[in-house]
Amino acid sequence: MTDRQPPGPGGETVGLVVVSHSRALARAAVALAGEMLHGRPVRIEVAAGLDETTFGTDAGRILEAVTAADRGSGVVVLMDLGSAVLSAELALELLDDAARERVLLCPAPLVEGLVVAAVAAAGGAGRDEVAAEAGGALAGKISHLGVPAPAPPADDPGPGGPDAVFTVTNPHGLHARPAARVVQAVRMLDARVTLRNRTTGSAWVPASSLSKVATLGVLCGHEVEVRVGGAQAREALDHLLALAARDFDEGPAPAVERPAAAPAGRPLPASPGVGIGPAWSVPATPVEVPVAPPADDPAVEWRRLKEAIATVRRAVQRIRAGAVREVGEPAAAIFDAHLLLLDDADLLADVRALVDGGRSAAAAWSATLGRVGAELGALSDPYMAARAADVAAVGDQVLRALLGVTRGDPSPTGVLVTGDLTPAEAADLDRERVTAVVQAFGSPSAHSAILLRARGIPAVVGAGAEVLGVADGTLLAVDGGRGEVVVDPSARVQEAFRERAADLARRAADALAHASSPAVTRDGVEVAVGANVGSADDARAAAAAGADLAGLVRTEFLFLGRDAAPDVDEQEAVYRGIADALHGRRITLRTLDVGGDKPLGYLPTAPEANPFLGVRGIRLSLARPQLLADQLLAVVRVAHDVPVDLMFPMVGTLDELLAARALLDDAVTLAGRGAPAGLRVGIMVEVPAAALKARAFAPHVDFFSVGTNDLTQYALAAERGNDAVAAVADPFDPGLLQLVGAVCRAGRPVAVCGELAADERATALLVGLGVRELSVAPRAVPGVKQAVRALDGREAAATAAAALDAPTAAAVRLLLEAEPSRGGR
Amino acid sequence: MTVELAALERWIRGFAALIGENTALLTRLDSAIGDADHGANMDRGMTAVVAALDREPPASAAGLLKQVGMTLVSTVGGASGPLYGTFFLRMATASGEVTSLDGPAFAKALRAGLEGVVARGKAEAGDKTMYDALAPAVDELDSALAAGVPLGDALGRAAEAADRGRDATVPMLARKGRASYLGERSVGHQDPGATSSALLVGAAAAAVGPSAAAP
Repeated sequence: MTDRQPPGPGGETVGLVVVSHSRALARAAVALAGEMLHGRPVRIEVAAGLDETTFGTDAGRILEAVTAADRGSGVVVLMDLGSAVLSAELALELLDDAARERVLLCPAPLVEGLVVAAVAAAGGAGRDEVAAEAGGALAGKISHLGVPAPAPPADDPGPGGPDAVFTVTNPHGLHARPAARVVQAVRMLDARVTLRNRTTGSAWVPASSLSKVATLGVLCGHEVEVRVGGAQAREALDHLLALAARDFDEGPAPAVERPAAAPAGRPLPASPGVGIGPAWSVPATPVEVPVAPPADDPAVEWRRLKEAIATVRRAVQRIRAGAVREVGEPAAAIFDAHLLLLDDADLLADVRALVDGGRSAAAAWSATLGRVGAELGALSDPYMAARAADVAAVGDQVLRALLGVTRGDPSPTGVLVTGDLTPAEAADLDRERVTAVVQAFGSPSAHSAILLRARGIPAVVGAGAEVLGVADGTLLAVDGGRGEVVVDPSARVQEAFRERAADLARRAADALAHASSPAVTRDGVEVAVGANVGSADDARAAAAAGADLAGLVRTEFLFLGRDAAPDVDEQEAVYRGIADALHGRRITLRTLDVGGDKPLGYLPTAPEANPFLGVRGIRLSLARPQLLADQLLAVVRVAHDVPVDLMFPMVGTLDELLAARALLDDAVTLAGRGAPAGLRVGIMVEVPAAALKARAFAPHVDFFSVGTNDLTQYALAAERGNDAVAAVADPFDPGLLQLVGAVCRAGRPVAVCGELAADERATALLVGLGVRELSVAPRAVPGVKQAVRALDGREAAATAAAALDAPTAAAVRLLLEAEPSRGGR
Repeated sequence: MTVELAALERWIRGFAALIGENTALLTRLDSAIGDADHGANMDRGMTAVVAALDREPPASAAGLLKQVGMTLVSTVGGASGPLYGTFFLRMATASGEVTSLDGPAFAKALRAGLEGVVARGKAEAGDKTMYDALAPAVDELDSALAAGVPLGDALGRAAEAADRGRDATVPMLARKGRASYLGERSVGHQDPGATSSALLVGAAAAAVGPSAAAP
């Protein structure tokens, strides 16, 4: 209906629509708002009630009202509750696309929101501004009453303007990972920071709560208002704005791969490879919370919950460490969001309130997580809504820990059929038994898909809900590279898929067959190709892949996700296990390499504004010498029996190396068997200054190992995980190559263990510069060996010499394209 | 076997009759966990639908379903209006300007309607909503048709699946709509939306099944 208010002259103000169950209520609200207008014309249409007295909402009338209110400069719709929202959404769907673009559904409270929106519209504000003003309409009331509203609690800033505004340009908006960066940044400082989505006019939420920040529903292009208070308010604001300016350090992978909404029944390729096998489903049944669980004393219930959360935190940290090994730090960062959720003070306060009210820990946790998940799930962006699944997964993990329920076998043999995998599930699948994964939902850019690709498990996503109806045991044929799923395939189809699988397997077997023989260039230069490993399992994979040695053992895995450092005996046993898995091949143990960006619970570090330039690697070890002393003792014991290379990470000065060597001498003395014959000592070259000082280090080391990832980042002052500068951090930059060249001229064997070592385009360059050992992920060993075999050492040296003089990374790549020894490949 | 326009109309009129007979039941169920208006709202909506059918007999499946949908969104008043409205509007789009639908086409239209309900209400299995009755029915219909079961019998099986789905809402904890405000107190009550949805599927089986099987 079109109740009142003449159209404005020219009709340039934003139109308003009031949707309510009650026509009387809507009219009264309009009259109240009209008092504020003093005759200034604002077009307010009403769609309320089924008739004068019957409560209800009517999408058809809303459609008419929106159309009547639309004068081309936008419409803001204010609704009361329930069906008002659903009907308004339906009405929007019935509009044509152009008209729909101009309409915004505003979540503001009806009466307060309408008054504020009317004033803003009369003042000539644009649509988004009107909605934003309306969205903040509760601030005055909250401030006046002095009691925190339930949603934006004590952190609500009260009335007044924002201290700053930033625009989010991340393709998926402020989703879990960038939101986690915001929360991390804010929690490091003594400041109260609140945010609201200006574009949608959301409520203010504390920036320290991940669950609250995520519910702001900030999409690409939205404006976010910031208010700060407290001792470090200024720093917090600077930090936050800097973070926003660099897109919250979002890594390139998810940003470039837009999630494609999968049309039902048309599977999307998510991870290449072919798998055939019986279908198995992991029942996605939510954990049953007993209807009337006996609640103990609140203190007891609370303690139970804290213990369950601690258990899950350890499990997530373990999985995260595994993901770092397999897919690298940026992709593994999703688990930081899981950890933050477990640590979300706001969320825990809500749970605590329920527990104190007499609910059992399980019931309180379940109710609170259900609410947060629903809030996320209700957001319109599919990427954001998918994060609701993460919340549910973490929530269920805690519930299982609380109730002592086990998940059952998560890795059946055959093709796993599931709705959507969580990253944790994807990281945890047993790739020996899961021949393929078929997801009814999901997207190829989901974290779980990234993990499946990295782990080499064939997968399709978005196959449609009907795949969930496939009975367990039904034969499925899956081609993850082509995005094909065939249910109960005919003999002919099976044959075709088997052929594809056999073809892939043959090629892999070919490479593997050659993998165990040494990699020698055509003119007889032998290059050792080793594997980077982070566990005994990795070491076994490395041996199976034909690795000549373990070129980098990341010992961090032993230290992460636990409450105390491993003692000498435990470390010794684990290092021996890795050496055994490699059947006596040389293992290169890098001492603990952590820093402020991945703090260990038992190794507290002061917050640092820039942990990558702070106390990390050898610096941290020297600051806590007992930890290093224990590790060195374990290494020395092992080195008496098997060949061991020991190397120190992040060495920048000679003093650091000498201090570490002094500790090593102490360990040798303590072990009491003299200097181990098979022990060689080296440093990681990650700091540019160390590369240039290689000759100074040479008398004190047996070898150098260049960590190209960090060396690139430091040499070019560009973080790879930061989209805005990722292109700058190019390991083919001639400046970086000159640093590697300087290390190679220092008269000691040089290894490379960064990602560049696995890049087959770079093999000629590195070998040509003089690198004689490459250490890569186990899966990459056979391919890199083939790349070495295709080289001619002298031609590679000439190419490398030319590359050192090249002006740009692009020029280096051009040189490599022309590299003669690549012609035969 | 196909669903003729006349059978579609029988379905809608049959549904209206069932709603009329069960208004008190629906309202009683809704008074336990909602705002006690589901029976009255649905009855008002379906009465208006029947009046519209009498006034303007539709010429195609899409026309009929669209008329039903638009009438419901304007007359039900509660959340069932946009939900059932979306169901029929999406069905209309999926059906097209035809006067008869074969089994797969009818099943496809129902699937489209169900997807509309999900898009509108954001409900999932186990949320204690109409989805919990509709989804198993649509799934059952698809699998029965795929197994070669004639449409009439397939709809009969779908109706049974809807009834089972409706019954399964009793122990569920409501997570959508006003019933969700009750939290655990919603457990132990049958969901009124799932109940009316089961009536909808039952009406389809009655309209299409026995009578359409005869000719």
